[in-house]
Amino acid sequence: MHKLVKSVLGAGFAVALSAGIASAQEFEFNIIAPAGAGGGWDGAARSIQEVMVATGQARSAQVVNVPGAGGTVGLAQFAASAGADPNQLLVGGITMVGAIISNASPVSLDQVTPIARLTGDPLVVVVPSSSSIQTIDDLLAAAKADVGGTIWAGGSAGGADHMLAALITEAAGEDPAKVNYVAYSGGGEALAAMLGGQVTAGVSGYGEWQGQIESGDLRALAISYPDPIEGIEAQPLKAQGVDVELVNWRAVFAAPDVSDEDKARLSAAFDAMVSSDEWKELLVARGWTDYYMPADEFSAFLEKETESVRGVLQALGLAQ
Amino acid sequence: MDVLLNLFAGFASALTVSNLIFAAVGVFIGTAVGVLPGIGPALTVALLLPVTFKLDPGGSLIMFAGIYYGGMYGGSTTAILLNTPGEAASVVTALEGNKMARAGRGGPALATAAIGSFVAALVATFGLAFLSPIVVQIAVRFGPWDYFGLMLIAFVTVSATFGSSPLRGLTSLAFGLWLGLVGIDQLTGQARLTFGVPQLLDGIEVTTLAVGLFAIGEALHVAGRHLRNPEKPIPVKGSPWMTKEDWRRSFFPWLRGTLIGFPIGGLPAGGAEVPTFLSYNLERRLSKHQDEFGKGAIEGVAGPEAANNASAAGTLVPLLTLGLPTSATAAVMLAGFQQYNIQPGPLLFVQHADLVWALIASLFIANVMLLVLNLPLVGLWVRLLAIPLPWLYGGIMLFAAMGTVAANPSVVELLMLVGFGTLGFLMRKFDYPIAPAIVGLILGPMADSQLRRALQMSQGDPMILLQHPSSAVMIGLATLALVAPLIFKGLSKMQSDED
Amino acid sequence: METPSRSFNGPYVIVGVALLAVAAITVWDASTMRIRAQYGVGADAASYLIAGFLVLLAAGHFIGAFRKSDDLDAEPTDWRAIGWIALALTGLVSAIGLGAGFILGSTLLFAFTARAFGRRALLVDLLIGAALAVLVYFLFHGLLTLHLPEGPLERLL
Repeated sequence: MHKLVKSVLGAGFAVALSAGIASAQEFEFNIIAPAGAGGGWDGAARSIQEVMVATGQARSAQVVNVPGAGGTVGLAQFAASAGADPNQLLVGGITMVGAIISNASPVSLDQVTPIARLTGDPLVVVVPSSSSIQTIDDLLAAAKADVGGTIWAGGSAGGADHMLAALITEAAGEDPAKVNYVAYSGGGEALAAMLGGQVTAGVSGYGEWQGQIESGDLRALAISYPDPIEGIEAQPLKAQGVDVELVNWRAVFAAPDVSDEDKARLSAAFDAMVSSDEWKELLVARGWTDYYMPADEFSAFLEKETESVRGVLQALGLAQ
Repeated sequence: MDVLLNLFAGFASALTVSNLIFAAVGVFIGTAVGVLPGIGPALTVALLLPVTFKLDPGGSLIMFAGIYYGGMYGGSTTAILLNTPGEAASVVTALEGNKMARAGRGGPALATAAIGSFVAALVATFGLAFLSPIVVQIAVRFGPWDYFGLMLIAFVTVSATFGSSPLRGLTSLAFGLWLGLVGIDQLTGQARLTFGVPQLLDGIEVTTLAVGLFAIGEALHVAGRHLRNPEKPIPVKGSPWMTKEDWRRSFFPWLRGTLIGFPIGGLPAGGAEVPTFLSYNLERRLSKHQDEFGKGAIEGVAGPEAANNASAAGTLVPLLTLGLPTSATAAVMLAGFQQYNIQPGPLLFVQHADLVWALIASLFIANVMLLVLNLPLVGLWVRLLAIPLPWLYGGIMLFAAMGTVAANPSVVELLMLVGFGTLGFLMRKFDYPIAPAIVGLILGPMADSQLRRALQMSQGDPMILLQHPSSAVMIGLATLALVAPLIFKGLSKMQSDED
Repeated sequence: METPSRSFNGPYVIVGVALLAVAAITVWDASTMRIRAQYGVGADAASYLIAGFLVLLAAGHFIGAFRKSDDLDAEPTDWRAIGWIALALTGLVSAIGLGAGFILGSTLLFAFTARAFGRRALLVDLLIGAALAVLVYFLFHGLLTLHLPEGPLERLL
């Protein structure tokens, strides 16, 4: 009964507010994480949930996991059901961009409303510490000498890890389609293959292998971020003369038909969220790198990124 | 001795009143949710993560430990009593356990599962404390060729679950293997048998298959003959507790199950299911009561349940020492660590020794609490069968549906559940065994991708499988296991011909 | 009615045909795969292997069908009970598919399943089912913030 009264009151309140003082309204977010519990998008969604409630910008927030097909199942469901509701949010990232292309998904990110790019994790290129390869140039030389014998380990086929391995192979002057990339279900299994010395090199999110890099079990050759990052010893590929950059970014999207007014309110809410202390603490705790970009710039970035991802996937034979 | 000192320090910090309460809450929730078909521990831990934001790291991890172990305990209850395993790791338990329950021996079956889980978790947690550095060294050397060898061994042992007809058993296995093809191939990104349905791209969820074939299929099967041939409530014959004989027959299976479960759980791609298959087959071969297998042999419950729980502790080895989550639950726990800016990995034991040892100590505590909680519950669970069948099966269906919907809120998933339920009914009606289908779905994709990884690393040379001694031995063992029974049969036939 | 004197095993023939059909679909699917593995074998290898296995099993079923078999299912099935469970599952799937929510779907599922097992008091069972569904919804949605499909009923609670 109590809950019923509250929700009726809440609804009345919301009506009263939308009549005038729109900026004071709190959100009641329903965040779709298009992946199962435990993954990066699930983590991002639950982080948004936590910080939005903690900073008082949302009265409540719940996370719904809709796993499947690199996020395209969640995307399709979101695009079909969210309508113009400003409380509906979707988390996504570069993997989703790739999955839309390689799965020939009928629903694309054009059909939802980009709100903000939030985090961007650098990928790291590593070799086992026992390897004779010392620098990224050594690795390029090895790939040049024997492209099939240079075995890469990383996450699933067509994902960001695979793309980076292909781009580096291309930078070595070889056909990117020839990269001998062994896909694992995640950074964890690939890590075991690295430590067991079964592969030449590995690619994963920096955070996933940070412990092994710091303990000296893995040697980090380069990161894929465009600029050096504080606290990470490995230098960007670009700074080492390899013209490749790739960031595993995560972003948040709003419903397809949100009004311009709601879009502005959401943008303001995320702008406030990323500058809160709670968010900054959380980024440090999770080992994520801030990669914030507001809605309009992000839309333009998304368009460019989609084209470059398509190019890599075509070169790999994973897209037409 | 350092280890012992550390462990005592861990107990000292874990044995506070508040931590004990957290452990008790975790154990209770874990068991309660584990009992429900279809909701696994991973989802529970993910849901509880926000609740623990306000707890200190020690308290929240201790609660997770309780949930993790509790979920593993709970899974066997419905498998034994209702023939509806809620997760893949307790499918094997249902084979003998449910036969025991139908013979009125549900009490001893639940008891051997609970005590076996306790023994296994106890031994395996000691293994975690003392052997982690060694286990992890072996685990990372385990290459794709070795995994393939292990899969082969598991495959040849499946025949233990075939029942009366090899043809029908193999057909069920083939069905599972075929289902395993569905989805995007992990190695190449190629979609197989998805027919343009996006929900199929991630493949068939093992839980959906298990709950569909077992829970829904069983409900249809029982309903189909209930009115004409009402199933009598199972009388609990004799004592609900284990007899001296039960103890004697359970003891070694518990230990052997533990020895199989712990190392395989520690492998980065080992999982909890494979050790249960291996343990079941081993007990079947070693038992002096082979005629009872398929009719309710207690060894067939004791071994796999111990293996299942030992592998749960084994999973923590790569998580704590490498930061490598090998199960969905472990992945969520990893996120839990990160909440507090703790990065599991090679430095965890050095940087956060107090926390790690408190966690290991609380695993021991959770384990004792589980036994204390579960043994009295045996009597209560057995009485669950006193619920009139219409309501009992109504409830089973409701929880099965909820588990599926909660894990993946899609109509396609529900339709798959219904489809598998129908198939489970037909398979029962025409006497095709159910378990091999689930085994096929689990092992098929693993064998496929590990073999192809091996061939990719050797650039197509199949000899790589025999060049590594460890995989060569395992492939040899698998071949032997396949061929030896045929030779023995031939020999004994020749002998009887001579007679 | 099954007659023991029948010369062949009908279900075996049906299963055999089904296995052949599944094998054919699998081979067709494998033949349309575009992505090739650069090293080692591709994703189609397992498809062909399993299709071959299925064909072998189909042959086994055809041979078995004409053998004298001891294990034909003799037990008749109560199709009316099966029909009630089918209705229960249809109720669940359509309630969730049409957005009527978890509670309504589960209530129908519970009550119709109970009917299949011979209960006649449908109204009582609907009430019990509803009570159970509401309890589950509160426990899992309220306490654990688990997302369950929402309909008009859930939004009221």
